[in-house]
Amino acid sequence: MDLKAIVRECLEGRQGAWETLMNTYAKRVFNMAYQFSGSRQEAEDMTQEIFFKLYGSLAKFDFEKNFTAWLLTLAKNHLIDEYRRTKWERTQRDDFDERVLPQASIPGPEESLARKETRALIWEGLNRLSSEMRMAVILRDLQGRSYEEMAEILGLPLGTVKSRVNRARIALAEVLKEKKGELS
Amino acid sequence: MTCERFEELLSAYLEGELSGEGRLEMDGHLAACSSCAELLSLFRETQGALAGFPELEPGPALMARLYAIPEKRSFFGTVSDFVLRPSLQPVYAAFTVLFIALSFVFFHPQGRSIQKAIDRQIHLGYNQVEKLYAKAGSVTDELGSLKNTVVDSIKTLNPIKGQEDKK
Repeated sequence: MDLKAIVRECLEGRQGAWETLMNTYAKRVFNMAYQFSGSRQEAEDMTQEIFFKLYGSLAKFDFEKNFTAWLLTLAKNHLIDEYRRTKWERTQRDDFDERVLPQASIPGPEESLARKETRALIWEGLNRLSSEMRMAVILRDLQGRSYEEMAEILGLPLGTVKSRVNRARIALAEVLKEKKGELS
Repeated sequence: MTCERFEELLSAYLEGELSGEGRLEMDGHLAACSSCAELLSLFRETQGALAGFPELEPGPALMARLYAIPEKRSFFGTVSDFVLRPSLQPVYAAFTVLFIALSFVFFHPQGRSIQKAIDRQIHLGYNQVEKLYAKAGSVTDELGSLKNTVVDSIKTLNPIKGQEDKK
Protein backbone atom coordinates (compact mmCIF):
# COMPACT_ATOMS: atom_id res chain seq x y z
CA MET A 1 0.00 0.00 0.00
CA ASP A 2 1.42 3.38 -1.02
CA LEU A 3 0.83 5.47 2.09
CA LYS A 4 2.08 8.68 0.57
CA ALA A 5 -0.40 8.32 -2.29
CA ILE A 6 -3.17 7.87 0.29
CA VAL A 7 -2.01 10.98 2.13
CA ARG A 8 -2.08 12.89 -1.17
CA GLU A 9 -5.61 11.64 -1.82
CA CYS A 10 -6.62 12.77 1.70
CA LEU A 11 -5.28 16.23 0.93
CA GLU A 12 -7.27 16.28 -2.31
CA GLY A 13 -10.37 15.30 -0.31
CA ARG A 14 -10.88 12.00 -2.17
CA GLN A 15 -13.67 9.89 -0.73
CA GLY A 16 -12.41 6.83 1.17
CA ALA A 17 -8.78 7.95 1.50
CA TRP A 18 -9.20 9.10 5.10
CA GLU A 19 -11.00 5.83 5.97
CA THR A 20 -8.09 3.86 4.51
CA LEU A 21 -5.66 5.86 6.62
CA MET A 22 -7.78 5.21 9.71
CA ASN A 23 -8.01 1.49 8.98
CA THR A 24 -4.21 1.40 8.68
CA TYR A 25 -3.28 3.37 11.79
CA ALA A 26 -6.21 3.54 14.22
CA LYS A 27 -5.34 0.27 15.99
CA ARG A 28 -1.66 1.14 16.35
CA VAL A 29 -2.28 4.61 17.73
CA PHE A 30 -5.13 3.43 19.97
CA ASN A 31 -2.94 0.72 21.50
CA MET A 32 -0.08 3.16 21.97
CA ALA A 33 -2.46 5.52 23.81
CA TYR A 34 -3.91 2.66 25.86
CA GLN A 35 -0.52 1.30 26.88
CA PHE A 36 0.64 4.79 27.76
CA SER A 37 -2.41 6.00 29.67
CA GLY A 38 -3.62 2.69 31.08
CA SER A 39 -7.24 3.70 30.57
CA ARG A 40 -9.41 2.59 27.68
CA GLN A 41 -11.65 5.64 27.92
CA GLU A 42 -8.71 8.04 27.91
CA ALA A 43 -7.07 6.10 25.09
CA GLU A 44 -10.21 6.51 22.95
CA ASP A 45 -10.33 10.26 23.62
CA MET A 46 -6.64 10.70 22.97
CA THR A 47 -6.75 8.64 19.77
CA GLN A 48 -9.49 10.91 18.47
CA GLU A 49 -7.51 14.01 19.46
CA ILE A 50 -4.35 12.67 17.77
CA PHE A 51 -6.15 11.99 14.49
CA PHE A 52 -7.92 15.33 14.70
CA LYS A 53 -4.49 16.95 14.99
CA LEU A 54 -3.21 14.78 12.16
CA TYR A 55 -6.01 15.89 9.85
CA GLY A 56 -5.25 19.53 10.66
CA SER A 57 -1.53 19.21 10.00
CA LEU A 58 -1.61 16.77 7.07
CA ALA A 59 -0.84 19.61 4.67
CA LYS A 60 2.45 20.20 6.53
CA PHE A 61 3.69 16.63 5.94
CA ASP A 62 7.02 16.51 4.14
CA PHE A 63 6.67 13.79 1.50
CA GLU A 64 10.42 13.13 1.67
CA LYS A 65 9.96 11.75 5.19
CA ASN A 66 8.55 8.53 6.62
CA PHE A 67 4.82 8.99 7.22
CA THR A 68 4.52 6.34 9.97
CA ALA A 69 7.39 7.87 11.95
CA TRP A 70 5.87 11.33 11.48
CA LEU A 71 2.45 10.19 12.72
CA LEU A 72 3.94 8.32 15.70
CA THR A 73 6.00 11.42 16.60
CA LEU A 74 2.79 13.45 16.58
CA ALA A 75 1.07 10.79 18.73
CA LYS A 76 4.01 10.59 21.14
CA ASN A 77 4.13 14.38 21.56
CA HIS A 78 0.39 14.54 22.19
CA LEU A 79 0.46 11.71 24.74
CA ILE A 80 3.41 13.14 26.68
CA ASP A 81 1.95 16.68 26.61
CA GLU A 82 -1.41 15.41 27.86
CA TYR A 83 0.31 13.37 30.58
CA ARG A 84 2.28 16.41 31.75
CA ARG A 85 -0.83 18.57 31.70
CA THR A 86 -2.98 16.20 33.74
CA LYS A 87 -0.53 13.88 35.54
CA TRP A 88 -1.90 14.74 38.97
CA GLU A 89 -5.22 13.25 37.95
CA ARG A 90 -3.64 9.99 36.78
CA THR A 91 -2.88 7.72 39.66
CA GLN A 92 -4.63 4.51 38.63
CA ARG A 93 -4.55 2.41 35.53
CA ASP A 94 -7.50 0.29 34.41
CA ASP A 95 -7.46 -3.23 35.84
CA PHE A 96 -5.32 -5.43 33.66
CA ASP A 97 -7.77 -7.26 31.45
CA GLU A 98 -6.43 -10.73 30.73
CA ARG A 99 -9.52 -11.60 28.70
CA VAL A 100 -8.20 -9.67 25.74
CA LEU A 101 -5.00 -11.75 25.59
CA PRO A 102 -4.74 -14.11 22.65
CA GLN A 103 -5.48 -17.60 23.95
CA ALA A 104 -2.48 -19.08 22.13
CA SER A 105 -0.14 -17.17 24.40
CA ILE A 106 -1.45 -18.92 27.52
CA PRO A 107 0.38 -22.24 27.77
CA GLY A 108 -0.99 -23.94 30.88
CA PRO A 109 -3.06 -23.15 33.98
CA GLU A 110 -0.14 -22.78 36.44
CA GLU A 111 2.20 -20.96 34.13
CA SER A 112 -0.72 -18.90 32.94
CA LEU A 113 -1.48 -17.74 36.49
CA ALA A 114 2.14 -16.73 37.14
CA ARG A 115 2.37 -14.89 33.85
CA LYS A 116 -0.95 -13.21 34.45
CA GLU A 117 0.29 -11.94 37.81
CA THR A 118 3.54 -10.70 36.31
CA ARG A 119 1.71 -8.95 33.49
CA ALA A 120 -0.64 -7.28 35.96
CA LEU A 121 2.35 -6.09 38.03
CA ILE A 122 4.17 -4.80 34.95
CA TRP A 123 0.99 -3.10 33.74
CA GLU A 124 0.75 -1.24 37.05
CA GLY A 125 4.51 -0.71 37.10
CA LEU A 126 4.39 1.19 33.80
CA ASN A 127 2.76 4.04 35.72
CA ARG A 128 5.83 4.34 37.91
CA LEU A 129 8.09 5.18 34.96
CA SER A 130 8.59 8.72 33.74
CA SER A 131 6.63 9.56 30.59
CA GLU A 132 9.82 9.41 28.45
CA MET A 133 10.87 6.01 29.81
CA ARG A 134 7.36 4.63 29.48
CA MET A 135 7.22 5.77 25.88
CA ALA A 136 10.58 4.09 25.20
CA VAL A 137 9.35 0.74 26.58
CA ILE A 138 6.05 1.02 24.71
CA LEU A 139 7.68 1.76 21.37
CA ARG A 140 10.36 -0.92 21.69
CA ASP A 141 8.80 -3.77 23.66
CA LEU A 142 5.08 -3.34 23.04
CA GLN A 143 4.96 -1.81 19.58
CA GLY A 144 8.05 -3.62 18.33
CA ARG A 145 9.72 -0.57 16.71
CA SER A 146 13.38 -0.80 15.72
CA TYR A 147 15.90 1.42 17.48
CA GLU A 148 16.38 3.37 14.23
CA GLU A 149 12.65 4.05 13.93
CA MET A 150 12.55 5.06 17.58
CA ALA A 151 15.40 7.51 17.07
CA GLU A 152 13.35 9.14 14.29
CA ILE A 153 10.11 9.16 16.33
CA LEU A 154 11.73 10.45 19.52
CA GLY A 155 14.11 12.80 17.73
CA LEU A 156 17.10 11.44 19.67
CA PRO A 157 20.48 9.93 18.72
CA LEU A 158 20.53 6.15 18.39
CA GLY A 159 22.82 5.67 21.40
CA THR A 160 20.54 7.76 23.62
CA VAL A 161 17.52 5.72 22.53
CA LYS A 162 19.27 2.41 23.31
CA SER A 163 20.39 3.62 26.70
CA ARG A 164 16.93 4.99 27.52
CA VAL A 165 15.28 1.68 26.62
CA ASN A 166 17.81 -0.19 28.75
CA ARG A 167 17.28 2.12 31.75
CA ALA A 168 13.51 1.85 31.38
CA ARG A 169 13.65 -1.95 31.30
CA ILE A 170 15.86 -2.02 34.40
CA ALA A 171 13.49 0.39 36.17
CA LEU A 172 10.59 -1.89 35.27
CA ALA A 173 12.48 -4.96 36.50
CA GLU A 174 13.09 -3.15 39.79
CA VAL A 175 9.41 -2.25 40.06
CA LEU A 176 8.59 -5.92 39.51
CA LYS A 177 11.02 -6.92 42.25
CA GLU A 178 9.53 -4.39 44.65
CA LYS A 179 5.95 -5.38 43.91
CA LYS A 180 6.75 -9.06 44.28
CA GLY A 181 8.36 -8.24 47.62
CA GLU A 182 5.19 -6.45 48.70
CA LEU A 183 3.05 -9.42 47.73
CA SER A 184 5.13 -12.10 49.47
CA MET B 1 33.41 -5.57 35.22
CA THR B 2 31.34 -3.49 37.64
CA CYS B 3 27.62 -3.94 38.33
CA GLU B 4 26.96 -0.50 36.76
CA ARG B 5 28.69 -1.57 33.55
CA PHE B 6 26.74 -4.85 33.60
CA GLU B 7 23.46 -2.90 33.83
CA GLU B 8 24.48 -0.59 30.99
CA LEU B 9 25.12 -3.54 28.68
CA LEU B 10 22.17 -5.68 29.73
CA SER B 11 19.88 -4.98 26.75
CA ALA B 12 22.75 -5.29 24.29
CA TYR B 13 23.68 -8.62 25.95
CA LEU B 14 20.17 -10.03 25.64
CA GLU B 15 19.66 -8.69 22.12
CA GLY B 16 22.91 -10.34 20.96
CA GLU B 17 24.65 -7.07 20.14
CA LEU B 18 27.81 -7.74 22.14
CA SER B 19 31.01 -9.11 20.69
CA GLY B 20 32.36 -12.48 21.85
CA GLU B 21 34.69 -10.82 24.33
CA GLY B 22 31.91 -8.62 25.70
CA ARG B 23 29.63 -11.64 26.18
CA LEU B 24 32.38 -13.51 28.03
CA GLU B 25 32.88 -10.56 30.37
CA MET B 26 29.14 -10.41 31.06
CA ASP B 27 29.00 -14.18 31.65
CA GLY B 28 31.97 -13.93 34.03
CA HIS B 29 30.28 -11.15 36.02
CA LEU B 30 27.00 -13.08 36.15
CA ALA B 31 28.73 -16.13 37.61
CA ALA B 32 30.29 -13.99 40.35
CA CYS B 33 27.46 -11.53 41.21
CA SER B 34 24.19 -12.85 42.60
CA SER B 35 22.39 -9.48 42.57
CA CYS B 36 23.14 -9.01 38.84
CA ALA B 37 22.00 -12.59 38.21
CA GLU B 38 18.73 -11.74 39.99
CA LEU B 39 18.41 -8.56 37.93
CA LEU B 40 18.88 -10.57 34.74
CA SER B 41 16.18 -13.00 35.80
CA LEU B 42 13.73 -10.15 36.59
CA PHE B 43 14.71 -8.46 33.34
CA ARG B 44 13.88 -11.61 31.38
CA GLU B 45 10.61 -12.00 33.26
CA THR B 46 9.69 -8.41 32.47
CA GLN B 47 10.55 -8.89 28.81
CA GLY B 48 8.45 -12.06 28.69
CA ALA B 49 5.48 -10.28 30.25
CA LEU B 50 5.77 -7.31 27.89
CA ALA B 51 5.93 -9.61 24.88
CA GLY B 52 2.55 -11.08 25.77
CA PHE B 53 0.73 -7.83 26.31
CA PRO B 54 -2.64 -7.59 24.62
CA GLU B 55 -3.38 -5.55 21.54
CA LEU B 56 -6.85 -4.10 21.75
CA GLU B 57 -9.15 -3.50 18.82
CA PRO B 58 -10.59 -0.01 18.63
CA GLY B 59 -14.37 -0.24 19.08
CA PRO B 60 -16.85 0.58 16.28
CA ALA B 61 -17.95 3.77 18.08
CA LEU B 62 -14.37 5.05 18.09
CA MET B 63 -13.86 4.10 14.44
CA ALA B 64 -17.06 5.95 13.51
CA ARG B 65 -15.76 9.05 15.33
CA LEU B 66 -12.42 8.77 13.53
CA TYR B 67 -14.05 8.39 10.10
CA ALA B 68 -16.13 11.51 10.80
CA ILE B 69 -13.12 13.75 11.53
CA PRO B 70 -12.99 15.37 8.03
CA GLU B 71 -16.64 16.50 8.31
CA LYS B 72 -16.11 17.93 11.79
CA ARG B 73 -12.85 19.52 10.82
CA SER B 74 -14.32 21.24 7.76
CA PHE B 75 -16.57 23.35 10.04
CA PHE B 76 -14.37 23.69 13.11
CA GLY B 77 -11.29 24.08 10.94
CA THR B 78 -12.75 27.11 9.16
CA VAL B 79 -13.80 28.69 12.45
CA SER B 80 -10.51 27.95 14.20
CA ASP B 81 -8.47 29.10 11.18
CA PHE B 82 -10.30 32.43 11.36
CA VAL B 83 -10.04 32.79 15.13
CA LEU B 84 -6.38 31.74 15.27
CA ARG B 85 -5.19 34.02 12.44
CA PRO B 86 -1.83 35.56 13.43
CA SER B 87 -3.11 39.00 12.39
CA LEU B 88 -5.62 38.87 15.27
CA GLN B 89 -2.94 38.33 17.89
CA PRO B 90 -2.36 42.04 18.67
CA VAL B 91 -6.13 42.44 19.12
CA TYR B 92 -6.20 39.55 21.61
CA ALA B 93 -3.17 41.01 23.39
CA ALA B 94 -4.88 44.41 23.65
CA PHE B 95 -8.06 42.81 25.01
CA THR B 96 -6.04 40.81 27.52
CA VAL B 97 -4.35 43.96 28.82
CA LEU B 98 -7.71 45.72 28.98
CA PHE B 99 -9.31 42.84 30.88
CA ILE B 100 -6.41 42.69 33.32
CA ALA B 101 -6.72 46.45 33.92
CA LEU B 102 -10.49 46.14 34.37
CA SER B 103 -10.09 43.20 36.72
CA PHE B 104 -7.89 45.40 38.95
CA VAL B 105 -10.70 47.92 39.08
CA PHE B 106 -13.57 45.47 39.63
CA PHE B 107 -11.89 43.04 41.99
CA HIS B 108 -9.74 45.43 43.99
CA PRO B 109 -10.91 45.79 47.65
CA GLN B 110 -11.10 49.54 47.13
CA GLY B 111 -12.66 49.20 43.72
CA ARG B 112 -15.36 51.86 44.30
CA SER B 113 -12.87 54.52 45.30
CA ILE B 114 -10.73 53.65 42.24
CA GLN B 115 -13.81 53.94 40.04
CA LYS B 116 -14.61 57.32 41.62
CA ALA B 117 -11.04 58.48 41.03
CA ILE B 118 -11.27 57.39 37.40
CA ASP B 119 -14.64 59.20 37.02
CA ARG B 120 -13.11 62.31 38.57
CA GLN B 121 -10.18 62.15 36.15
CA ILE B 122 -12.53 61.70 33.21
CA HIS B 123 -14.60 64.73 34.34
CA LEU B 124 -11.47 66.79 34.82
CA GLY B 125 -10.26 65.83 31.37
CA TYR B 126 -13.67 66.68 29.91
CA ASN B 127 -13.64 70.10 31.62
CA GLN B 128 -10.15 70.78 30.31
CA VAL B 129 -11.27 69.98 26.80
CA GLU B 130 -14.33 72.22 27.19
CA LYS B 131 -12.15 75.09 28.42
CA LEU B 132 -9.74 74.63 25.56
CA TYR B 133 -12.61 74.58 23.13
CA ALA B 134 -14.04 77.80 24.64
CA LYS B 135 -10.61 79.43 24.52
CA ALA B 136 -10.20 78.37 20.93
CA GLY B 137 -13.62 80.00 20.19
CA SER B 138 -12.61 83.30 21.77
CA VAL B 139 -9.28 83.27 19.91
CA THR B 140 -11.19 82.72 16.65
CA ASP B 141 -13.48 85.67 17.48
CA GLU B 142 -10.49 87.87 18.27
CA LEU B 143 -8.79 86.88 15.05
CA GLY B 144 -12.03 87.62 13.15
CA SER B 145 -12.34 91.12 14.65
CA LEU B 146 -8.62 91.79 14.02
CA LYS B 147 -9.10 90.76 10.41
CA ASN B 148 -12.06 93.17 10.07
CA THR B 149 -10.01 96.00 11.60
CA VAL B 150 -7.14 95.40 9.20
CA VAL B 151 -9.50 95.28 6.21
CA ASP B 152 -11.22 98.50 7.34
CA SER B 153 -7.83 100.23 7.79
CA ILE B 154 -6.72 99.23 4.32
CA LYS B 155 -10.01 100.44 2.84
CA THR B 156 -9.64 103.79 4.67
CA LEU B 157 -6.05 104.33 3.55
CA ASN B 158 -6.74 103.03 0.01
CA PRO B 159 -3.16 103.64 -1.26
CA ILE B 160 -3.99 102.76 -4.90
CA LYS B 161 -6.79 105.35 -5.14
CA GLY B 162 -4.42 108.05 -3.71
CA GLN B 163 -1.86 107.37 -6.47
CA GLU B 164 -4.57 107.63 -9.18
CA ASP B 165 -5.62 111.06 -7.80
CA LYS B 166 -2.00 112.32 -7.98
CA LYS B 167 -1.89 111.42 -11.68
